This record gives sequence, structure tokens and C-alpha cells, in this order.
Amino acid sequence: MSFFSELFGKKKNTASVAKDRLTIMLSHERASCKLPYLDDLRNDLINVIKKYTKVEDVKITSHNNQNLEFLEVEVILGK
Amino acid sequence: MGIVITVTSGKGGVGKSTTTANLAVGLANLGKKVVAIDFDIGLRNLDMILGLENRIVYDVVDVMEGRCNLAQALINDKKSKTLYFLPASQTKDKDILSKEKVKALIDSLKESFDIIMIDSPAGIESGFEHSIFLADRALIVSTPDVSSVRDADRVIGIIDAKSERAKNGLEVEKHVIINRIKPDMVEAGNMLSVEDVLSILALPLIGVVPDDEDIITSTNIGAPIVNKDKSLSAESYRRIARRILGEEVEFLDIKAKKGLIATLKGIFK
Repeated sequence: MSFFSELFGKKKNTASVAKDRLTIMLSHERASCKLPYLDDLRNDLINVIKKYTKVEDVKITSHNNQNLEFLEVEVILGK
Repeated sequence: MGIVITVTSGKGGVGKSTTTANLAVGLANLGKKVVAIDFDIGLRNLDMILGLENRIVYDVVDVMEGRCNLAQALINDKKSKTLYFLPASQTKDKDILSKEKVKALIDSLKESFDIIMIDSPAGIESGFEHSIFLADRALIVSTPDVSSVRDADRVIGIIDAKSERAKNGLEVEKHVIINRIKPDMVEAGNMLSVEDVLSILALPLIGVVPDDEDIITSTNIGAPIVNKDKSLSAESYRRIARRILGEEVEFLDIKAKKGLIATLKGIFK
């Protein structure tokens, strides 16, 4: 950071913006291509839940950060 | 038995063929018997970068289809005597390769070469799958920009899924080459640094090649830059070649050249 940019206040440098955008984007993309079983899992879950109640849809989304990977399962019950 | 090294990237235009050419020459200059194969069917390019385009008679598809034998199709480089080249076919049918034929070809090359370098096409379609299918090692080339890093990450994620090695419970050894880095932009905080790219891709680094206009001029004349003496990018390629052979080589210190004007610019930025 040079003297003048300190003085007038400078925008965040573009490289760190690029890094942040990539990190966020890739944490989504990685999950979807690393888990090829998602469709099967979804179908099995629907079948299990059907035994107990009416189910309209099951949505599975996966997230990960550096250390943890987790699946979020959303069950939409039928009326 | 030779090893198969595939150079890949996901995104096109990041310097795969240039990297393949320079590393193939670099490895041959270290005394290895190397064959460079262009797998970019329909979009042949490695031939011009190596300066061997006028000597092509048969191509990789001719060999696989049995229209000629391997020895007839292989082109021996005049300067680097242990370097051979097998050109891509210019056929329009890019799906002409089949797994069985690729395997037969690579297996026979493994018997007579130390290193088989495959220049993979961009994308993640069948051409890429064939290039990675028999790879023992993969070199992933990425420039420090968002599209290239993103596509590199995607390719890294599917390398193992497409490789025979992974099916046998082994792993494809993967390394990153960061290409066309501009040290002055990195220092100004306007280009992803080597550390940034590595922390995103989470793979070990095997080399950094600085952005260099001399690479364009050496491609113009079909003489890979790795043979040039006083050149930072050439030295980068030479060091990568040595690292591929297992040698521990220090990384080049790629810094911005700072003259008076650059310093003044820095003050007023």
C-alpha cells in the first residue's frame, strides 16, 4: 500500500477479491462433483420416508469448508 | 517400463501444449527417452510448437487404426536426439479414439520409452478422458486467473474418476504448474499469487513459469524456449523437468523488475 493510496483510501485489491470469490464458488462445485451417490441417496430417502408419511420432495444440498463436509437434507411433506 | 505423464488444464489457452513441448524437450535433454503425444484430435498444435510440422507423414489415429506401424509415425527431433513426437490427427471426428486402442498404443510405447508425455485437449469430454485414462502422473497447468483456477479444480476432481490407476486402488500423482505469472501484478495485489492458487487447489506445486514474451517468439519459430540459455522461463521449465525426475530443486525467485519508473508508479498508485 503506497503513501497516496493510504491517504485517499483504496479499494480492496483485486487479487484478494478473486481469491474469495473462487473459494466460495469452489466449495459449492466440489461438493456436487465429489458425491456421485446423491441421486441414489435421495431416492432411497424418499422410499424410507414414504413408509411413515407422505413425502413430496427431498432436497439434498452439500456444503463444505476447509475441514468439514456436510449434507443438508430438506424433506418436504405432502399434504 | 515407461511412465505416462498427462498435461492437462480444463480451460483452454493456458499453455498446455507449450508446457508439454518444453518439458518433453527438457526431459530429453536430461537423457531420458521421451515421446510426446498430441491427443487434441482435430486441433493439432504441438507439432508447430516443437517445430516438427513439416515432417509429419502419419498420425496417432493412423497408428491406432493400423494404417502404419508405430515406428513409421514417430518423428525424431533433430536437436534432442532422445525426443520423439507422435502428432494428433486432423480428422474432424474427435471421438475416433477408443479406450482399447489407446491402451494398446500406450502399452507398446511404454516398452521403449522412459516417459510418455500426453498433451490433453481442453475440456472434460472424451478426448480428455482418453488422455487421463492411463496416466501415472498428471500435471495440471493453471494461469493465475479465476476461470483457469476454477476449471483446474474441476479437472482435478475428475482425474481419479477417469483413470485406470484409480480403479486399481492407486492414485494418479498430481502436481500444479502455475503459468504466466506476472510478478509486478502479484506484488501490486492485482493477480492471484502462487500461494493463493495453491491454497485453493490444495495440490503440491511442481513449478511456476513467469509470463514471458520470448515464449511467443520461440513458438513463432518452432524452437521450444527451454533450449535458451539466459531466460527465466526456460530455467523454470528446466527445473520442472528435473523435479519430475525426482530431484529436489529450489524454486526460482520470480520478482518484479523494479526500475525508477516502476517505483514512481508505485508511489502514485
